[in-house]
Amino acid sequence: MELSRRNFLKSGVAAATAMAVGIPISRIASVAAAETEQDWRWDKGVCRFCGVGCGIMIATQDGKIVATKGDPDAPVNRGLNCVKGYFNGKILYGKDRLTQPLMRMTDGRFDKKGKFAPVTWDQAFDEMAIQFKKAYEEKGPTGIGVIGSGQWLIQEGYAMTKLMKAGFRSNNIDPNARNCMASAVAAFMQVFGIDEPPGNYDDIEYTDTVVAWGANMAEAHPVLWQRVIDRRLGHADMKVVNITTLRNMTSEGSDLEIIIKPNTDTALLNYLAREIIHRDEVNQAFVDAHCVFCAGPTDIGYGMRATDKFAFEAEKDIQAREIEVTLTRDEAIGLGLDPEQVHTIKQANAATADRHWLVGFEDFKTGVEPYTLDFVAELAKGDAEESLDAFKAKLVRLADLYADPKRKMVSFWTMGFNQHVRGTWVNEQIYSVHLLLGKIAEPGNSPFSLTGQPSACGTAREVGTFSHRLPADMVVNIAKHRDITEQTWKLPPKTLNPKPGSHITKIMRDLEDGSMSWVWVQVNNPFQHVANANHWLKAARENDNFIVVSDAYPSISAKVADLILPVAMIFEKWGGYGNAERRTQLWREQVPPPGEARSDLWQILEFSKRITLAEVWKDQAIPGLKDEGFEEGKLPDVMASAQEMGYQPEMTLYEALFETPENKAFAWPDPVAKGHDNHTVKHLGVDWFVEKALFEEYAAFGRGHHHDLAPFDVYYQDDVRGLRWPVVDGKETPWRFNAKYDPYVKNGEIEFYGGAMKELVTGNLTGPTTEEKTKFPGKAKIFFRPYAAPVESPDGNYDLWLCTGRLLEHWHTGTMTRRVPELHRAMPAAVLDMNEKDAEERGLKRQDTVWIESRRGKIKAVIETTGRNRPPRGYSFMAFFDESVFVNKLCIDATCPISKEEDFKKTAIKIYKV
Amino acid sequence: MNISGILVVVPPARIEGATRALNALPGVEVHHTEPTTGRIVVVQEAETVDQEVAALSRIKALSGVMLAEMVYHVFDETPPEWDAIPADMAAS
Repeated sequence: MELSRRNFLKSGVAAATAMAVGIPISRIASVAAAETEQDWRWDKGVCRFCGVGCGIMIATQDGKIVATKGDPDAPVNRGLNCVKGYFNGKILYGKDRLTQPLMRMTDGRFDKKGKFAPVTWDQAFDEMAIQFKKAYEEKGPTGIGVIGSGQWLIQEGYAMTKLMKAGFRSNNIDPNARNCMASAVAAFMQVFGIDEPPGNYDDIEYTDTVVAWGANMAEAHPVLWQRVIDRRLGHADMKVVNITTLRNMTSEGSDLEIIIKPNTDTALLNYLAREIIHRDEVNQAFVDAHCVFCAGPTDIGYGMRATDKFAFEAEKDIQAREIEVTLTRDEAIGLGLDPEQVHTIKQANAATADRHWLVGFEDFKTGVEPYTLDFVAELAKGDAEESLDAFKAKLVRLADLYADPKRKMVSFWTMGFNQHVRGTWVNEQIYSVHLLLGKIAEPGNSPFSLTGQPSACGTAREVGTFSHRLPADMVVNIAKHRDITEQTWKLPPKTLNPKPGSHITKIMRDLEDGSMSWVWVQVNNPFQHVANANHWLKAARENDNFIVVSDAYPSISAKVADLILPVAMIFEKWGGYGNAERRTQLWREQVPPPGEARSDLWQILEFSKRITLAEVWKDQAIPGLKDEGFEEGKLPDVMASAQEMGYQPEMTLYEALFETPENKAFAWPDPVAKGHDNHTVKHLGVDWFVEKALFEEYAAFGRGHHHDLAPFDVYYQDDVRGLRWPVVDGKETPWRFNAKYDPYVKNGEIEFYGGAMKELVTGNLTGPTTEEKTKFPGKAKIFFRPYAAPVESPDGNYDLWLCTGRLLEHWHTGTMTRRVPELHRAMPAAVLDMNEKDAEERGLKRQDTVWIESRRGKIKAVIETTGRNRPPRGYSFMAFFDESVFVNKLCIDATCPISKEEDFKKTAIKIYKV
Repeated sequence: MNISGILVVVPPARIEGATRALNALPGVEVHHTEPTTGRIVVVQEAETVDQEVAALSRIKALSGVMLAEMVYHVFDETPPEWDAIPADMAAS
């Protein structure tokens, strides 16, 4: 670049940066900014990465992204970006981008043992359909599956859900979001009867306190963390607390750092509840008016298989705990049992872990009574080098903050809570603390579940791409919800399958045990991100399974696939995301996808053209189906009633489900496009606006039902930067359940109006004592949940904890961020962070290459003792972005039995020098 | 070539020292300052993303810096020619 042009460009960038953050500049400088940008087309978009949902502006020229900037008008980030924001413009242009379909072939034909070769889209879809029909004919709707994503666009997730549930009559569709925030979802439903947070990010600017629980916000949610730091600088009373299992970057910005042992968060929250009661700080008026108390079974297992048939030999001792558990001394105390006795408990409620019943306040009080300062401090202290007294003082300080009636409290959490064998419990418990205090649903008082993916909320949760869900918080196993969905989708009665399908870990297990043999993966990398990977890699490659992976880059999942479909990425297609504060944001297609790459939506619709109604809407065997109104183990033939509705057996699923008369009414081109292209519409060869039609069809589920979205076009207005649902009469809802802000509150000032599970039997801490059900509309539940030890803890052989997580520079499995080659060279490999003394004790030092071994596998990595994560003695940490280190070969695939989310935070390992 | 606009925030009393320290970093130029709020706009030029990220870390490590985040990025690069099959896929 010429020097003069470069200097000019730099002046322009400086001026534009100043303008973006509101620093006044001279008129000359603003002219420079304008001239720099004069040939570029700017449009608004959303960051592709974490769940914060920062607004960015994108500049394009000649079909390429030339610049991006933080959107000064975006209320989430106000012009700032973190370093991941930088990648939005770069991730499209990696050297190894996939640009044409690739299939394993030998001599011009599909061969599972063959090598990848380029094929046409027709060849790809033809083979995919042959293999689909083979699996479907042999095994029925449960023999096929889809692994989707919290990065799916709203329209993509919606189309795939409709294709799977209405078309294929299979509930085996589950997003990677299962392993990100399913525990948060389960707790929202159990506590409030409706998903997603009452509050929003603005709570940061109204609060006096932020407590991060198992959330390294400084690395994983830097822009929100920046808002926390700004508040701390500008508000003298502000306190920030980091509750964590290791010292991390978030500790640096905190007033109080509390290092705890794994899983003891459940005990710590009970200590807080006990303190609130003993200090007489229960907000009695709030609790009486708006809450009930609940308990549930504690013998719920750990979400593992109930058989060790497929376990490696070394896994069998831990796997046996799925059947029967001998309580630890601390667990016995926490359950109010005699710790001197041996308590061996059959895990009888493993399949009914979400069961719960009403109890009284006195029962709750009895439940938390054992959680004294002495008991909890001994149990929870995570840093052996900290004195017990110092740790106790910190717990008291924490209780002082929560219990102070004048102090506003925000609790943030992410994977430390969610990826937890008692993830649903610990989510419920934080609500219990906030509800006891009445610190919820008003500015500055907010228990808030942060998310890790850009549309974990918008797509995975709101669209309902989980194996048990339908749109707008409805579920497949409630007849009324199926009826509503069948009517909206114009399906014959009993088309939908009432039996929940396989969650993501179970899809992997199904591939291993042969109950499923065809899987389509979109917008994620499950063969890297699902724990206990050695099993699933072998199932993919060595069993007679057909794996289709839609991806932009050669991820691990693409490499183990039989067929790879190249995809269009974020700004190469029209789409929408929903962030963690219920904010829905839509964008236009900015640049064309390269080569033959096409949107996931186009792929879904094209594939649906290859299956006819006669093939799917006939009798279907569903093993284990026992729902009322169905013959046992069967879905009925619905073709006769379908024909009465005007469907024909030879119609394709594309015609029946997608190209409906209602959808065709949305014409393309549309003025909202303002000259932007739409490659999905172009390659489908249609004249209807697919993304708009599907968005409006989907939005119909939520409008009038607490989930109202604005009309499609509104999100594209120049003055709109996303809207927080419910959007009623054109107005968004910043705080839910509060009459001042939420038009759905009809009774009183606060109403927890979510409708799910608001009628229960009554009992005590050990079980129900009545059969009569009580209704409690408008109320939230305060759960008692006891401390539970992790399923696997270090012992004499595997003597170190391993926790996995994220880094600022790399995102998740690194499929996109590792593509920036210079960055990959700078941070090529994940390291194992460990305590210097633990290393010394094993004769190791930093930068040594070691074997890390668990019951499930072993990997090689370099150890680090002076990194930005500083584990206490006995604890280690590794990020999961790096496929060459592949930490998920080590991790246990135990889950929270309620949410089915894996616990990536607690595996026992040993390490030794290579 | 990558050019980034970065917002740096320091305590207002330290803005002069911070400006000098920033200008001394390779590839970094201070363009605008706001003495009342301690906000500084710098432009950073780097050959590669790697250098860009490393340089941002250096800015964050300067004494007194409370915030340093990228706001604006310009990419002045030619898109790659894509292979039919990426090299590491051909072997698998």
